[in-house]
Parts: sequence; C-alpha cells; structure tokens
Amino acid sequence: MRKKVILAVAALLAASTAIPAWAAASGQVVGLRRLSEQEYRNSIADIFGKDITVQGMFEPQVRMGGLVATSTAVLSVTPTGFESFSKMADAIAIQVTDQKHRAKLVSCTPKSPKEPDDACASEFFSRYGLLLFRRPLTDTELKARVTLARTMTKASGDFYTGLRYGLAELVQSPNFLFRKELGVPAGKVFTLEPYSRASRLSFLMWDTTPDKELLDAAQTGELNSAAGLEKQISRLIASPRLDSGMRAFFSDMLELDTFDNVSKDALIYPKWGGAMAPSAREETLRTTVNLALHDNGDMRDLMTTRKTFINRSMAAIYDVDFTFDSEWMPYEFPKDSGRSGVVTQVSMLSMFSHPGQSSPTKRGVALMDIFLCEPTPTPPANVDFSAINDTSGPLKTVRQRLLAHATTPTCASCHTHSDPIGLSLEGFDTIGQRRLTENGQPIDLTATIKGKTFKDGAGLGQFLHDDPKYPACMARKLYAYGTGLNSEDVETSSFKTAYKTFVDSGYRMRALIKGLAESPEFFNTPAPVSADASNGQTKLALH
Amino acid sequence: MTLHRRTLLRGLFQGSAAVMGVPFLDCFLDSKGQALAATGQRLPTRFSTFFYGLGLTTQLWVPKKTGLDYDTTSQLQPLEPFKKKMNVFSGMRVMVDDNPNFQHWSGNAAIVTGIAPTKASQFDSKTIDQTIADVISRGSRFKTVAAAASGDPKHCYSSLGGANTLPAEPTPLALYTRLFGPGFQDPSKADWKPDPQVMLQQSVLSAVADERKDFMKNLGGTDKDRMDQYFTSVREAEVQIAAELQRPEVVAKVAIPASPGDMVVNYALPNVRQVTPLMAKLGALAMATDQTRVFNLAISEPGSNIYVPGDPLGYHITTHMEAIDQTLGYQPRVAKYNVYSMELLAATLKELDSIPEGDGTLLDHSLVMAYSDQSYAKIHAVDGIPIMLAGNANGRMKTGYHIAGGGAPVSRVGLTVQKIMGLGVDGWGKGSMETKSAYPELLA
Repeated sequence: MRKKVILAVAALLAASTAIPAWAAASGQVVGLRRLSEQEYRNSIADIFGKDITVQGMFEPQVRMGGLVATSTAVLSVTPTGFESFSKMADAIAIQVTDQKHRAKLVSCTPKSPKEPDDACASEFFSRYGLLLFRRPLTDTELKARVTLARTMTKASGDFYTGLRYGLAELVQSPNFLFRKELGVPAGKVFTLEPYSRASRLSFLMWDTTPDKELLDAAQTGELNSAAGLEKQISRLIASPRLDSGMRAFFSDMLELDTFDNVSKDALIYPKWGGAMAPSAREETLRTTVNLALHDNGDMRDLMTTRKTFINRSMAAIYDVDFTFDSEWMPYEFPKDSGRSGVVTQVSMLSMFSHPGQSSPTKRGVALMDIFLCEPTPTPPANVDFSAINDTSGPLKTVRQRLLAHATTPTCASCHTHSDPIGLSLEGFDTIGQRRLTENGQPIDLTATIKGKTFKDGAGLGQFLHDDPKYPACMARKLYAYGTGLNSEDVETSSFKTAYKTFVDSGYRMRALIKGLAESPEFFNTPAPVSADASNGQTKLALH
Repeated sequence: MTLHRRTLLRGLFQGSAAVMGVPFLDCFLDSKGQALAATGQRLPTRFSTFFYGLGLTTQLWVPKKTGLDYDTTSQLQPLEPFKKKMNVFSGMRVMVDDNPNFQHWSGNAAIVTGIAPTKASQFDSKTIDQTIADVISRGSRFKTVAAAASGDPKHCYSSLGGANTLPAEPTPLALYTRLFGPGFQDPSKADWKPDPQVMLQQSVLSAVADERKDFMKNLGGTDKDRMDQYFTSVREAEVQIAAELQRPEVVAKVAIPASPGDMVVNYALPNVRQVTPLMAKLGALAMATDQTRVFNLAISEPGSNIYVPGDPLGYHITTHMEAIDQTLGYQPRVAKYNVYSMELLAATLKELDSIPEGDGTLLDHSLVMAYSDQSYAKIHAVDGIPIMLAGNANGRMKTGYHIAGGGAPVSRVGLTVQKIMGLGVDGWGKGSMETKSAYPELLA
C-alpha cells in the first residue's frame, strides 16, 4: 500500500514539471463546494484588491449537522442566485479593467488600445485564471477566454472591454463559484491532489483563496511532502490572517448567523434596538478569537472566562458604565456578575429565546448541539405544551411549568437531556439581562446533568469546561468545517490525531488547527463510487 | 392611440406621486372582449403563490356548505370581497406513506410537489411554480420572482429540487431594484431599442454554458444534479437576456413608481402588514409589465415566527403552548393569528385586483394559490391544510366553490392548477398522492 502511495505521489510530481499537475492528475471529483459569501468576498479582495466593491445578493446557506459550511457541499446555484452572480461578476470585471485600476491590475499594455492583442490577453487571463480557479487554466480554457476577449474587442473596438467580458466569464464560471476537489488513489483511499490541498488549507485557515505562494507550493509538489506541508501550514498559522479564518469558523460553529432572523419584541424589551444583534455577535467573536489566538489560551476557558469586549450597546444590556473613547473596550465582569464565558453572553442568551420570553428548551437544545455535539431529536408531532404556558395557575416560573411538562415519559427522555442547561441560565432574560425573580418568584438556578449537579451560569460554564466532550466537539466541528462533511457523520477516528494534539497542547487552538491540517485524514477521502459504473444514480461515497 | 381607461396609483411609495397608466390598451380586445396583447396574442395567464404559516382553525374556517354559495365562515371573512373570484379547499390529505411527517415541512412540500418529502427542508422534485414557469414564462424577463414579507430570503418554497430554494427578495427595496432597477426596459417607451451591451453579455453566458461538458466530467450522481441546476440557471440567464433584446409583448402604459426606500422588515406584525401589500403591489406591477409571469410571496416561514408586539411567545410557540379554551373549543389567540394571515392574503389579492387589464383585472388573468404547512398546528397535523385558488386564470378557472376534499390527496389541487395553467399533464404526485383526477367542476 505504501508503495502505491509513493507511486501516486511520484506520478504527480513527475507530471507537475511538464504539464500542470492539475490537468495531469485526472483525479476523481471527491468534493464540490459552493463558495460562501465571505469566501467569495475575501477571494475577490485578495485577488484584485480591497477597493474593488462587491455588491449583490448571495444565496442563503442552510445549517446541516451544526454547520453552514456543510451545506456548501450540498447546495447548488439557483436561477435567481446565478443572475446575481452574473451581475456581480460583470461589475467586478468593469472595475478591474477601468481607467482607475488597469495600470495596476493589467500587467501588460496592448499594442493598440482599440484592437485585440492575444499575447497581452493571454497574460492577463493566465494570471487571474490561476488565482480565481485556484489552479492553472488548461490550454483549451485559456484559449477560450482569449478568443472571447478578441471577439468582444472587435465588437466594441476596445481592448479593455474585451478583457472585461473575458474576466466576467471567469468570475461567474463554475470553476470559480465551486471548489472542485480532486482525489487521486492512494492505497485504499483517495487523497487530494496538490491544488485541492492548497484550497482546503487556505479556506480553513484564512477563509479565502490560496495565495501565490501556496499555489506555487502546489505546483512544485511541495504540498505532497510532509516537510513541505508542514512549512506551508506553519506559515498560514503564523499569519495574522488566521484571525479572519477563525472568525469565520467560530461564527459558524457558534451559529452566530442565527441573528439574521432573530427579532425581539420592542414593546416588552425597548432596550433591544437595531445595533444589538451585530454588537452581540461581535462581542462573542472578539472574546473567542482573543482567547484562541491573541492570548493563546486554553479553549476550555471559553466556558468560564469573565473577560470580554463591550461596546455602548452591550454595556447597556450588561448594565455597565461605558467610559471608553474607542468603539470597543476590553472588560472583565466582576465575580458576582453571574457571567461565565460565552454561554452567558448576550449572543447565546438572546439567539436562543423567544421574542419576549426566555426559553430554557431552546437554549438547552442549542448549547448541547453547539458545544457537546449532542443534537436533540425533534419532539413528537402530537404534544400538548399548554401546561407550560399557564401562568395563572400555581406554576409561576418557567422551571415549574417545564418540569411539570417533562414528567410525561415521552417528553422526559429529551427534556431531561436538554433542559437542565437552559434552566441554569434562567437568571438571564430573553435579551441577556440578569434577573433574580420571575413573576415575583425567586428563580431556582440548579441543574443536574449526567449525575452532576450545579447552579447558575457559572456552574454551567464550569460543567462544560470540565466535560471532555466539549473540546472533542470543537475538534469534530473543525474537521467537518474544513472538509465539508456533516459533523454528525464524521467518524471519531478522522480527527483523533488532531484531538490528541489539542489535548497535549493544553487545548490551544493553533495546536488543534495544525494537528488537523497535518493529519493524513484531512486530505484523505474514501474512494468515490464511479458515477458511470452506477448510471449516475449512486451518491458519492463522501457525501 | 388613446387610453380608454386609466388608473392612477398614488402615494403608495413613500409619498411620491407615483403614477401608473393602465398596463393594457383596451383597444386590443377580441370579439369576445378577451384581452389581447399588442401582437394579437391573448394576455398571458400569470401564476402566483401566497404562503402563510401554521394554517387556520378548522372549526372556524371550514364552511358547512360545499359547492357554490357556501357559507362565509369567520376566518374566511377577510376574503369575502373575493369570494366570487376564488375557490377554497378543505379536507385535502397529505399522505406521507413511509416517510416521516417532518414538522412544518411535509405539508407545504407535498402541496407544491405532490410528493411527501424524504428529507426535512428538501424538495423531492421541482416545485409547481417552476413547472408552470417552464411552460408559461417564455419571453418574460424573469422566469420567476419571489419575495419574503418578514425579511428572510430563505422564506421561499420554490425550487428546482433538493435543498436549494430560490432566494426571495427580503425587502420591498430589493424587490423593486430587481424588477425596476438596472436592466428594466420600459416597454412603453417610444424609442425602445435593444441595448447593444446586452448582446455582449449573451456571448459571456454562452461561454459559461460551454464549460458544461468539461465541468461535468467525473462528477458523482448528487454533484451531477447540483451542476445540472447550475447550468439550468445559466440557461435561464441566457433566456432572460434574450427577452431583454425583444420588445416586451404586453404593451403597458406604465410609469414605474419611485423606489420604496429602506424599511424595517421583520416578524413584527405591524411591519408585515406594511410590507406584504407593498411587495404584492410590486409583484403585480411586474406581472402587468411582463417582467415575470410567476410571482411567489411568503409572509413567513412554515412555523411562522410572526408576533404581535407584546406577545412574548409569537405565533408558532403560541400554537403549541396556548391551551384550548374549554368553552370555545379552540385556541383563541391562535385563532386571531390565523385571521391575520387571511387579512394579508386579502390585501395581496386586492393589489392584483386593482390593476385593470383588458376586460378585467390582473387578478382575473392570474391564478393565485394560497397554502400553508399545517392544518392544526398545535399537533403538526397535515390533513386538511387550507388551500385557496384565486383569480379566474383568463377564463380557464370557474370560481366561487368550496371543495370539500373528504380525504382526497392534496395533489389533486396541484394537478387542477396545472391543467388550468394549460400544462399538458395527465397525472401528478407520487405514492399514495399520485393522482389523475383534477377537479373537473373548476375547469372552464
């Protein structure tokens, strides 16, 4: 088996000298992922510069197995979505080739600005084709764009108009909008060819298209050797751009996009205004990235830290004086604040609540899934919830009503699983403000999960901090995020190496990323079932 | 050429004096008074869907009498002005067979595909609006257009199949811009001529389409389906561009209103009430000017999160948590929310009905299908989901009926819709919902 791997790698290396490795690899497609909005935006900014504006509608994504990243391996482009991509591509191409940018972005000067110049067009399209497709264009692909530009130049009498339309074509091509991952046989499994490796690494760590150096490393075959890989991974990790990569990951893992459709009842909670949701999201991202990368902290502390960052909006909810000149200030909650890590931040508390009332069930279900990778099944269709809502009777607090309801055996199995987490957070209302009573009754904040009893948000934070399922869940989600697999289908063995590195490092995020990227499982996939052999009916083994 | 009838629509769009002429010249009528377009073709029949979450309360909405002249129930009261222009269906069954009843999904998915979904949040086939658009949308600029009145582009139950849904325009401004922003060509302009740039765009799109063969190589089954959708989308963009090169068939005398500007679009009922008619109006204008012939409007998702300010729970949670009033025998707060849905449907129909066209109104030349995800939301029941078909479909649908389904598969409604829209279909649906029986009494 080892010999086969070496042969496959040798074949790739040999191929890379004469013809592009990508073309020679003739690999099987083992993954096909639609670019996310942020990946698209970051790619365009990196390739053409930040002053090229990207304006338009992106197709919504959906959450699968706890991550929207997974849906990129399932979703396609709808007619409405393509219409938007097509317009955006043209708007980008117009900017890149306009008077203002052409000197910088078009590296050659045409013989005449009014006539086709195949040599200059060819230089332009091979340069940007490589960056947009994340691999070199084949000769045929390059020729097609040069021909298109020539036709357009002739029709318009302007060389740059020809470039514009050729570039617009590249930016709406499926080769840009989808990351096609190719695998080559390596023993019993398939392993990604170098350009697909470059993309997987770059999107995982920087949330953007691979840079020139990474693409060069793919071209030379460096990404097929352990040493070469290690070098590139270390470079990516050492870069400050790891911040944006991890913001993207944590934004997905912590489900912060939920804010896109959370509305709070202004009549009951007038404090909640338009600035709240983006501020709460930003607070959590700052806290998380700061702990993970700037402090190089123990990721378990995300559940217990009282350190955070607040702006004026968040200060209002936390009832803290905001006496800072800049927009955000680091802040540490006092010991008796009841706050403990991200689980007691406004984001988590408000996203998983009703418009005007907290919901222990919503909070419990969400946190179990996000931090422990334990999804709760949907309730049976025919359930009578009315007892939970009757505050006129003897059951005054949500806890009393919820417990009454959870004594029904069919309900109990799930509610004893998810509710305790939520009940311990009942000291916070639907927008995350602290409270001590509900309908005049003091709130009982005790909870028992898996035989462990604790109290309030701080108790919950400590419980999660100490549960080894939490860091294991983070490793599982990072693996799923990087590969596009569904976290619920991922085998524990696939991220075992990465998890061990994580544990051994004292739960440092960089160690987890490095361990993951360097483990063979990150690039290996099961052999795809040939579509032709099964009349196109069989799904890819990978999906 | 003079306009015999002229309607002015004023003040709708942030106080700007929007003026719109009748989108059809009455001089083009055939001997029966049927509307004709400038080319002598009949006015196209348009198709719309109106999605509302969480159904209605059976004992408050189902009329006792069936057929014509049925009794108007309290929950159908808001639709009274349109009673003669619509049909209501009670007692239609969603048969899930061996599939789970996915809460807030199986019902609406079955209504628009005739198939019980095998996965939550996915469609097992193309949805009915897309099937209809394949046939009726030729020549119009957009094959279909969708809008979401509580602001989430995901609230659209229109799909080429699978997990993708066509994104809806989430604000009136976005909807306006898509329809009447760049690329819109006023068909009534005297100096109408095709934009030469559009022709160049066409070459770009055909270059993208040419990538198909290479890109599809070595793809597995699922990925092949996904890329089929992508290239279908490219093809539709090509058709759209081709349509922009033609002078629109319907000669509409239209002054397009000013942009509606930014507004808050979310689940709060007062906002939904403001946004729904505005979106309906824009959709109606789009159909009147042949920008599209298929318009999908959703006021919320299934399991609607719409809330009345002051109600801490909102619509969805209320359906599950509110006790049944022992005297009344139903959930009173839920019943109120139900009625809001019908009011929003009525507001939507009103917009279509207020655009005169040829021998009637835009509504008369449309078929509007209103549907929901549940019948009795408290227990996620899907049998008896209330469905309404409004509009006369250019004389192709008889109206004024209450059809009591008596447990007939819900796909019979979808089949009837397709026959009315002129699709050559004999049967529709799968499994227990496979049917060859339309409702003949509705076919004119």
